[in-house]
Amino acid sequence: MSRRRRAFFRNRTAIAGLVLVGVVVLAALLASAAPFDPETRTDSFRTPPDAEHWLGTDENGFDVFSRLVHGARSALLVALAAVGIALAVGVPAGLVAGWYGGWVDGAISRAVDVMLAFPSVLLAVAIAAALGGGSTGTVILAVGIVIAPPFVRQVRAAVLQVRPLDYVAAAKALGASDARILFRTVLPNCVAPILVLTTLSTGIAILDAAGLSFLGLGPPETSPDWGVMLTKARVYIQHDEQWMLLPPGLAISLTVLGFNLVGDGLSDAFDPRRLSRS
Amino acid sequence: MTHALRRILVTFPLLLAVSLLVFALAGALPGDAADWRFAKQPEAKEQWRRARGLDDPFLVRWGRYVTGFATRLDLDRSYQDDEPVGPVLLRKLQATFELTLCAMTLGVLVGLAVGILSAVFPRSPLDYLGQVLALGGISVPVFWLGMVLIVVAVKVFGFPFSSSQYDPALAERVKDFRTHLYLLESLVRLRLDVFASCARHLLLPALALSTIPMAVVTRMTRSAMLEEMRKDYATTARAKGLRARRVVLRHVLRNALIPIVTITGLQFGQLMGGAVLTETVFSWPGLGRYIVESGVRARDTPVIAGGILLVATTFILVNLLVDLLYVLIDPRVREGQ
Repeated sequence: MSRRRRAFFRNRTAIAGLVLVGVVVLAALLASAAPFDPETRTDSFRTPPDAEHWLGTDENGFDVFSRLVHGARSALLVALAAVGIALAVGVPAGLVAGWYGGWVDGAISRAVDVMLAFPSVLLAVAIAAALGGGSTGTVILAVGIVIAPPFVRQVRAAVLQVRPLDYVAAAKALGASDARILFRTVLPNCVAPILVLTTLSTGIAILDAAGLSFLGLGPPETSPDWGVMLTKARVYIQHDEQWMLLPPGLAISLTVLGFNLVGDGLSDAFDPRRLSRS
Repeated sequence: MTHALRRILVTFPLLLAVSLLVFALAGALPGDAADWRFAKQPEAKEQWRRARGLDDPFLVRWGRYVTGFATRLDLDRSYQDDEPVGPVLLRKLQATFELTLCAMTLGVLVGLAVGILSAVFPRSPLDYLGQVLALGGISVPVFWLGMVLIVVAVKVFGFPFSSSQYDPALAERVKDFRTHLYLLESLVRLRLDVFASCARHLLLPALALSTIPMAVVTRMTRSAMLEEMRKDYATTARAKGLRARRVVLRHVLRNALIPIVTITGLQFGQLMGGAVLTETVFSWPGLGRYIVESGVRARDTPVIAGGILLVATTFILVNLLVDLLYVLIDPRVREGQ
């Protein structure tokens, strides 16, 4: 493990990703310390950045910097909850499909195929619309379902690799139950690919959630949410306040970039071929 | 070929499952399109609901929909104006197809070139550029990029930005067009004024959308090329005195193409539906935007179901095409191994 940790921490781009993610987490944790309440009107409307309002104010008189910081909290919460759903559904499904095979595997794999035969953005839109749209919970559920199929595939593939190995046979010979073998013997040996996928999926979840908000299927208009802020900014591109595009857009891009860099770094660190080469 | 045939046969239950899902989801919510359309005329509402069979259980409605489609290729009529949705959806599908095709072409060409050069010259400035492209394309939200492109084009280059597929002033010139692939048809008919207008309208949305396949193809090309270049046959080819360019382009690239073609096919399908965000930013009259704005907002199940079926069908057709491409690229597949 320590060799892998060293490989990860020697990777400069991975460290850059870790810093980006760290900044966003810090912003989310300290959001309550923001100078203004994100949903309370201030005295100025549509003003450019100044000493009082670091990133200016929007057309509702809300302080953009405070909304941005609260947006970090909302983005992380949505992404973590969605990835949580994907893990809770995908990992057991993948374990069962890979372990039992046969018709169970067939049914689960076909269901995954149906979902993957669908453009993911459109699937998320359909699910969010069917759930009624217009709330954070809807977004979490829609995104969680859409990003789950790769987890099923990944875990299933990992189980198939581990299943014929001796230590699994040993656990079986000791009389361990299926559940015990799956969760105590098989699962710990599939941690690496799941960890990489979880990191990369967090970035995808942030992007998908922002897209749903942008289409009007996310939280209400006054919520401090990056996707909602961009929907608002869309109106400004015809006016002179085009800089309003920058804060939420850069926030989303840099956060997702951070998760992607960390995911790539983890993937490199876990890949035995790359380790032996360096 | 039998493989391709099997793929087609598997497609039908898949499409059935997809349409069932749409009807189940649409039926799961209280209220429907009638509440919205006949908000002020309760009697007309009940009459219309009976006429359209909206009170039947969703399985019955789904059965009727599937039989209608299977026997008459009928995609049912809209709940908003009782007009057939098929022709509208096909028109929107063509607009999305034109946008996706241009974005894919741009993305794949740049992605292949940058990916190959990054693999041949690792750690060169080009390799770093490739990595920036690859990471940027999957990290930057495409709808934000679209808006930034609009601002930059209008402010910096004075590019006259307008939405839709062509300049409305040219409406007379496209009246006799048989398809809605305006860019292609105007080129075939040599109507260069229309072609120029279409190209100008397509440029920004295609550029924005192309960053997604560009990123994915760059990444895949680079890693597949690096993987293949390490293999013995590449060393052998070099050792017997072939020029480096020939080894890279004729030997290595050919083997690396399989995963690249696969990912390109998957990307194409994803973009056909995923273009909805780009279409919204640029007011492009595409299918995804139509499904969201006309279908989802008004709870118009035939529009949603038909639109999603068309997208899923395109996705499956593209993947079928990819299977056939394997045969061209890889002789082992041709000989049925």
